This record gives sequence, structure tokens and C-alpha cells, in this order.
Amino acid sequence: MPNIGTTRAPVRTRTSPGETRWTTYWSTRRTAFATECGAARADLLADLADPNGAQARVLEDVVALGADSVHWRERGYDAVASAAPGAARTDAFRRLLPIMRYEDFIPLVERETLAKGGILSCSPVLRWLKTSGTTGSSKRVPYTQHWLTSYRIPAMQAMWGTYLTLHPEILDTPYATLDTQTVRDGTADFIEGVAYQAVSNRHPRLGGLDWNPPWYEAPWMGPDAPTSHEGRMYHRIRHLLGRPLQVITAINPSTLISLRDLLAEFGDRLVEDLRAGTFDGRPWNEPDADAADRLRLIVKDPDFALTDIWPTLRLYSCWLSASAGLYQRKLDKILPGVARLPFMSCGTEGVTTLPVDEATDAQPLAVGQAFFEFVPADVPLGERIAAGKPVRTLLFDEVKPGADYHLIMSQGNGLYRLWTGDLYRVHRVVDGVPWVSFTRRDGSFHSFTGEKLTEGQVTDALRCGFADLGLDMGLYLCGPQWAEPPHYVAVVETRLEDTHRADEISARVDAVLREINIEYGSKRDSCRLDSIRIHLVPRDAVGAYIENGRQHGNAAQYKYKPFQADAEFVAAFTGTQGDARV
Amino acid sequence: MFDVKRVPRDVRREIRHLKREGTRLALHVWRPEHPKAAIFYFHGLQSHAGWLWETGPRFAENDIAFYVLDRRGSGLSEGARDELADADTLLADYAAGVAEVRRAVGSAIPLGLFGHCLGGSFLAALMHDPEFDVPYDAVVFCSSWLGKLHATLSEEQRCALAADESDDPWNAGLASADFTADARFQRFIDEDPLAVRRLTRRSRSVLLNLERRYLDPSRSPLPEVASAFLSGHLDPIIDLNDAQRAFIQLTNGKGELTMLPTDRHYLLFTEARDRLINWTSAFVLLSGGDRVG
Repeated sequence: MPNIGTTRAPVRTRTSPGETRWTTYWSTRRTAFATECGAARADLLADLADPNGAQARVLEDVVALGADSVHWRERGYDAVASAAPGAARTDAFRRLLPIMRYEDFIPLVERETLAKGGILSCSPVLRWLKTSGTTGSSKRVPYTQHWLTSYRIPAMQAMWGTYLTLHPEILDTPYATLDTQTVRDGTADFIEGVAYQAVSNRHPRLGGLDWNPPWYEAPWMGPDAPTSHEGRMYHRIRHLLGRPLQVITAINPSTLISLRDLLAEFGDRLVEDLRAGTFDGRPWNEPDADAADRLRLIVKDPDFALTDIWPTLRLYSCWLSASAGLYQRKLDKILPGVARLPFMSCGTEGVTTLPVDEATDAQPLAVGQAFFEFVPADVPLGERIAAGKPVRTLLFDEVKPGADYHLIMSQGNGLYRLWTGDLYRVHRVVDGVPWVSFTRRDGSFHSFTGEKLTEGQVTDALRCGFADLGLDMGLYLCGPQWAEPPHYVAVVETRLEDTHRADEISARVDAVLREINIEYGSKRDSCRLDSIRIHLVPRDAVGAYIENGRQHGNAAQYKYKPFQADAEFVAAFTGTQGDARV
Repeated sequence: MFDVKRVPRDVRREIRHLKREGTRLALHVWRPEHPKAAIFYFHGLQSHAGWLWETGPRFAENDIAFYVLDRRGSGLSEGARDELADADTLLADYAAGVAEVRRAVGSAIPLGLFGHCLGGSFLAALMHDPEFDVPYDAVVFCSSWLGKLHATLSEEQRCALAADESDDPWNAGLASADFTADARFQRFIDEDPLAVRRLTRRSRSVLLNLERRYLDPSRSPLPEVASAFLSGHLDPIIDLNDAQRAFIQLTNGKGELTMLPTDRHYLLFTEARDRLINWTSAFVLLSGGDRVG
């Protein structure tokens, strides 16, 4: 890092018009927000002190929400409500209700889109949550009023309660925190009149108990900010440049890296805006030539850190476990000396863990968020469910440290006994509560930045891409290639005479992947992932490689697995690292 | 007591089923934990309970349990689509639905009956049905053109209509832009797979029959309950002047007229929605026995 001397003082800016309204809002919400988050954290800690009580309470709630629903009555599941509360009811629940995949819920979701509540659970559906599906179309997760107010928002508040306990500077000033976990975008997507959007898009607020941080009305967060990743990021940077920013929070670590990269990319524009007192070229506040000069010097250095822009930074938060941990070296570089806190383990389908301290390897199972069941990872759960075979599940107090498990959860939104497809590792058990971390998707090998790419999606994309170009496709191997930005690499068999078409097929498959995995598409749009790179090899090349592996391993149990843990296999075909193109 | 502060409620949403002569009818409810009043909503020709996903929770937040019966052949109820059952069957369905609601909420809280558009005609006919004996406390007609067929057809035309037993479709010719100016709701109406957009001609004779039941000069007097007519200040679908005149006649001049700031027909899909809900909530809540007079 070059010494830029006194220019290490923060790049200051002058107050623009229009700040008063939202900073006033911030002031009126500040104390209440801290109180709400503190109370939710206290509830979380109380649940963790009595995990059996918390799980029993959640199951009672799931049954109370489901028993009178049309679906439960039609299937006779309402008989669960007749069982005595406690062990008998837990047994009845696990005996009568089947383990479900998301696709098993689709016909019910279709009915629920018409009724907007009452089919799957006895709570109004206020919104449909959009998330990547494994079958080519996006999932629709019912965002019910009860789930919103009793689970999802309390989870957010409890996590922020932990953040505030450990780092009260979050609320020092209106400009202390940049929250990229949440966005506020208008949506144009509706299902039978009901909005259909990502869970992180919390606009508009759904009643008085919806998520409402003090910065909810901040201009960098509001619906007037651009919806594109780059545009929104420019907005955030411009508004917070020169402010005493202390905390940056994201879900994905790639967002933090993107923030720094876009600061470099936008450097000239930002310098000009500061110098002219403009916002993206439009008059905005007082010109500040000194600040412009300081910023110009900082971004001129190719190794500048976010702490050079904001020397006041004290904390960042994001996912830090599993594959997200691959970003740590880069995070250390752009946020030197800055404390870190983990984001909760969650998906659109629900919250699994909540942070209570700085631990980054694991977090306590959020026993008050769902009724959890586990199945050892070596059980071919998908096959058993598809075949309608019985599956014995374990409760939270039956899992063992060091083991990996499939996660099955019953959330308070009607999606009962949902096999999430996620695998979690139990790291330890503290006061009876398993501390777990997400390890991987079942059948998938990686998720660099939340895209959770599955084997099925890659297979579908390859088949589709090869068919589109009239290419023949044989066996393939695929793995993650860490780089900046990271990407996926695949070796695919095809006819010898077509092996020169690697760039063409890479582009085509990348386009298909963008369509069938919206998170992949989003991360590609924001340059947090690079295009998949495909190496074409003659027929039987992959087969021979697999055979070679079989000879060196347990031949009886050796199984072709298209997904690899890394990209080392590429060298066996090309003599190069996976990053190199054929 | 009557709360002026809206407190977020955990709203219960259920779909109960009424078995009516082998036909399963869907009775929808949005219910607060401790309702202070209840409303039974009569939907119009093409709408159904699935149009009320934002209305139901709002009434519940006002401490009102909000019930909607999908008419036989509408919404999630069974029954022939594009077809109205005979008037006696329809009124018996509604009487059973209202009775079920009164049973569910008990006799201690006020029950309001709310008819929207054509639903108002069903409501008016039910009120005059000698078999209907469920106590209720308030009545609201919203954008309802009571007696429309009598007002717009000659006696000769009405006779022809009454005798029409044809299965031929009669298209209501309703345009979503007349219902709402909001593009989201227009799109919903246009694409709603459950919406009824036409009726058999035979069904129109049922509508005529219903009108006769409440326009009959020899009809029995109605109970003395609070009655109101609500609409926008303009309505592209109904003749407001005639609709109001019919309402005044129905209530012997004892009902009240209220206009809300919209020029569209389906107030619940306009900016007037929350005012309509709050106005109606107050009207029904305050109609309770110990407050009348």
C-alpha cells in the first residue's frame, strides 16, 4: 500500500439537499430499532437455553397453522392436532406427513396462488418469494403474514441484535452503516396479483411489523436508486463517500469485493462528481475539489483498500463459512484490520442458523425458526424420497459432532418437512444446541457466491447448449475454478472434429445457465462470476480418466461423479490449470 | 372498544367448506384473534374471494372477521361455471353461509352484510327472503345497481328474458379499465383464470327473478338496521343516480349515501380501498346493539 500521507484522511463531502428527511427518519427509528433487535436477540438466547422447548413450540405452531388448511384436511394430516402435545404429537407429525421436495409442493402452490392463503397454511400469502429452482423454473415460496411477523423478521432482528451487541457503532450516525443485505426495488412481476420478488427485496413494507431499519428511507436504499447492480453500487458509494462509514454488511462476500472493484472502476466518475458537486453529472451538492483530489490519489493505487476510502471502517459482515471462506484472503486485503461478523445461514425457504457471536466456522441451529430434522449425508435421500421409501430422521438432539446431514425443515409458511437439498455439518454441540454450517448442496459441488449451481442445472445447460449448436455430447466433468472473478470449468467429450469450438459452446452454455439459475445470472451480470469455460475433448477421454480413477480407488464403489471438488482434473486433459483455455 | 390506532394483527386465513346438496362451497375467512365484528361479503358477477387478498387482512387489522362465500360456480366453489343456479338455491346457499358465520362469531358481536355490484342484488333478495332469519346489524351496498334489469328493460323485454331458457352465452362485456386504473389490478382481472366473464342467457332470468323479490311492493318490511350505499363519485359501469334511487326506495329513505374519491367501479382495487375498509369497519363496529340509537 503506498503512503499517501495526509490524504489517508477520509474523503469528505458536503451535505446535499434532501438529507434532512431521511436522517430525521433514522433518528426516530434508531432507539426503537435497537430495542426491537435487542429483544429478538434475547428471545433467541432464551430459545438456545431451552432448545427442546423452542422446537416443541415451533412444532405446535406449524400444526396450528396447518391443521385447518385445505391440504391438511384433504390428506388427513389434521389428525396430528388430535395427538397429545409433546412426544406423541411429534411422532404423529413425523409419521403422518411425508418428507417433501419443493416439486412435490408445486400443485399445492398452484392452488395457493389462486386462494392466497388457506390451502397450505392458515395465514394470508402477502407475497411470493422468488428463488432459483433445480428444474429450470424459479421457485415460489409463500411469504405469509404469520411467517413474516413471527419468524423471518424476528430472525433479522436477532441477527442485528447480535451485531449491535458486539458493535454498537452501527447506530452511531445515519452514515455509520452501509447495508447491502436488503434492497428496495419496485417489482413488475406478479402471480395472480400478488408480488413475486426476492426475499432480500423488502419493498414495499408489508405492514407495521415488516423490516424497518433506521436507514430504510436512506436514498441509497430506496426504490429511487437504480436497480442494476452497478448503478445501485454507484448510488451507495456516492452517497456515503466522505461520510464516517463504520460498517459494511452484505450477504455474499462477493458483494464487498464488487464494492471495492466498482470504486476503482468508477474512480474517474466519482472524482468528477466530487469536483463538480454533481451526482452522476447532475447538480447535487457543493463542489469539493480537495476531496476530489484525495479520492483521485487513492483510486490511482491499484492496491487501495476500502479502509483508504473510509478509514473509519470498523466492521464488515457476510457469509464466511464453507465456500464463501475462499474469499477471506481477498477480504483481508480490501478490509485490513476490520472486524468481521457472519451472516445467518439461510435460504429463501427459511433460516437455519443465527449468529450469536463472532464465530465464523459455525452458528447455533436457530431452534426457534423451524422444526428441524436431519438425515445422515450418506443416505441417498433424494433416491429414497423419489422411490417413496421410508426415511428415518433424527431430531436436533440426536446429531453428532463432525458429521454431515441432509436438512429437513418445517417452516411456519406451510412448506412442511421440506427437504432443502442443503447439507450441514455439525461442528459441536453447545448446551444441547448443535452448532452447524452449510457445507454444500446435495448433488452439487459448489456455490461461490450464493448461486448454488446443481449437477442437474449444469447437465441441462450442457445438453441444451450442445444441442443448440448441433454438437454431440458425451461424459463431462465440472468443477469450480477460484480466480478473480471465479468461474466454473468443464471438460466435455464431443466429436474430434468439433473440439475447436470451445469458445462458442462456452458462451452458449453460459447463456443457458444464466436462464436456468437466476442467481448465476445475477452474479454474472454484476461480474462476480466469470463465464463457465468448457474444454472440448475427444470421445472416451473423460471415460478413460474415470477408468483410471477407478483403478486407483475402490473399484467396487467407484462411481462417475460429474461434479468435482475443484478444477484439478483439467490438467489431466490439457496439461494446464483449469483457468487456461484450450 | 373502538380502536383508532391500527395495530398489526396476526390474521388467520381459512377456507371452510359448506356442503350444499352435494356441492362443496368455499367459505373464506380472514379473522383476527379477537374479532369485534364480522362482515359477510357478497361478491359480484366475475369476482370471487380470490380478489380480496389485500382487503381481508385489512378488515382483520380493524378487528373485523371478514367472510366471503364463493358463489356456486364461482371462485373455488364447485358448480357449473358461467351458470347461475335457480334463485331459491342461491339464496339458500347464502342463508347457510351467513348462518355459519353467525354461528362462528357468536351473537355478541355485530354482523354486517356487504354486497358489491351484483352481489348487492343477491344481498337485497336474501334480506327479503322469508326463510332468512339470521340476525344481522348493518347492511352496505357498494357500487350496486339494485333493480338494474327492471330499470333498463321494458316489460316486454323482461317477459322475454324471464322465458329465456337458452344455454347461449351472454357476455357481460366488462372491461378491467372500468374497474380500476391500476395496471397491476387490471392485469390481474384480465388474466384471472377463475373470473366469470359470461353467463348463459338462462342465468339472466335468475337475476331478474332476484330483483323481483326485493322490488315487489308487497314485500315484508326489513329489520331496522343501519344501511348505507357506497360508491365512487363516478362509476363507468352503473348508473349511479338510478342505483342510489333504488337504494333509497329499498330502505324507505332510511339509508345513507357515501361517495369515495374514485371514478372506478371496483373500489377495492383503487386508492379509495383503505377509506372504504375503514369507513365500513366503523359503520359495522358501531352498529352493535348497545350502540344503536
